[in-house]
Amino acid sequence: MAHQAHAMLYSVDPSPSPLTGAVAALLMTSGLAISMHFHTTTLMSLGLVLLLLTMYQSSRDIIREGTFQGHHTPPVQKGLRYGMILFITSEVFFFLGFFSAFYHSSLAPTPELGGCSPPTGITTLNPFEVPLLNTAVLLASGVTVTSAHHSIMEGQRKQAIQSLTLTILLGFYFTALQAMEYYEAPFTIADGVYGSTFFVATGFHGLHVIIGSTFFAICLLRQAQYHFTSDHHFGFEAAASYSHSCLMSYDSSFTSLFTDEAS
Amino acid sequence: MAEDIKAKLDQYRTAPFDARFPNQNQTRNCWSNYLDYHRCQKALTAKGVDITPCEWYRRVYKSLCPMSWVEKWDGQRDDGSFPGKI
Repeated sequence: MAHQAHAMLYSVDPSPSPLTGAVAALLMTSGLAISMHFHTTTLMSLGLVLLLLTMYQSSRDIIREGTFQGHHTPPVQKGLRYGMILFITSEVFFFLGFFSAFYHSSLAPTPELGGCSPPTGITTLNPFEVPLLNTAVLLASGVTVTSAHHSIMEGQRKQAIQSLTLTILLGFYFTALQAMEYYEAPFTIADGVYGSTFFVATGFHGLHVIIGSTFFAICLLRQAQYHFTSDHHFGFEAAASYSHSCLMSYDSSFTSLFTDEAS
Repeated sequence: MAEDIKAKLDQYRTAPFDARFPNQNQTRNCWSNYLDYHRCQKALTAKGVDITPCEWYRRVYKSLCPMSWVEKWDGQRDDGSFPGKI
């Protein structure tokens, strides 16, 4: 039985991607520190280029292995699912850290903040204006992505492409709205612990939305090129799970970070 | 009423136990009394009344608060940048 199970798994060919990815991460992090002290973005930009190359090459290799060479048998797919679930779980904990930072400072506000939350001098955003619209946009994208999923499962090519395109457009709309909010906000990241926690949490969230949109864009290209079948479309499902978790983190930010009485 | 306050002030040695702040970290105790003194002073002078009742809060915060904090907050109040609500 073990012998049979191994016959359905496969070993990946040697690849430079783990090394290039690790080097990219090193260059980006050290580059970020260097840019803050010596006002030069060279190292960080180099890291970013290497990261983009790694992302392109490694995903192309995985698509070749799965879609074209048929290596993604059911047990392999199961492994990929576990991997994605574990990764998403780690992202959830990543965001939980920023939420605890916010609550740590807002539930017991120090004298420096005026002993109140939101702190003295901070004009908070009205949660029922752009933040509510943003919530609606993300929820709508959840609907469109579910519609795209069902269209893929039912072999409806054109509808899948339409729903997936709409999902990506909603993601762009969110990003544009959030960029405008950032520009118009009455406080900055430098405005005490409120500004820090707000912009770091919403900033990382916005980055994740951009990542989700990019992931869906790849899925759209693949769907257009007939990569997905009605039974086997794990790349799409991974993108959808990732974006759903992103949506959940925005919903929870909405109820905590954006309210006028922060506790 | 005024006699009770004067009696309390005569007997004052240091800040007594305040059940609102039972733990080791007494930051809030200092902050609260500092605010209460200045709020009391502001409210009673606005009414044109004797501010002796406020004296209790002043004694307590003077006993508890680090001098550097009091100096910093007094400076902020003069600047108009004091974050607390008085």
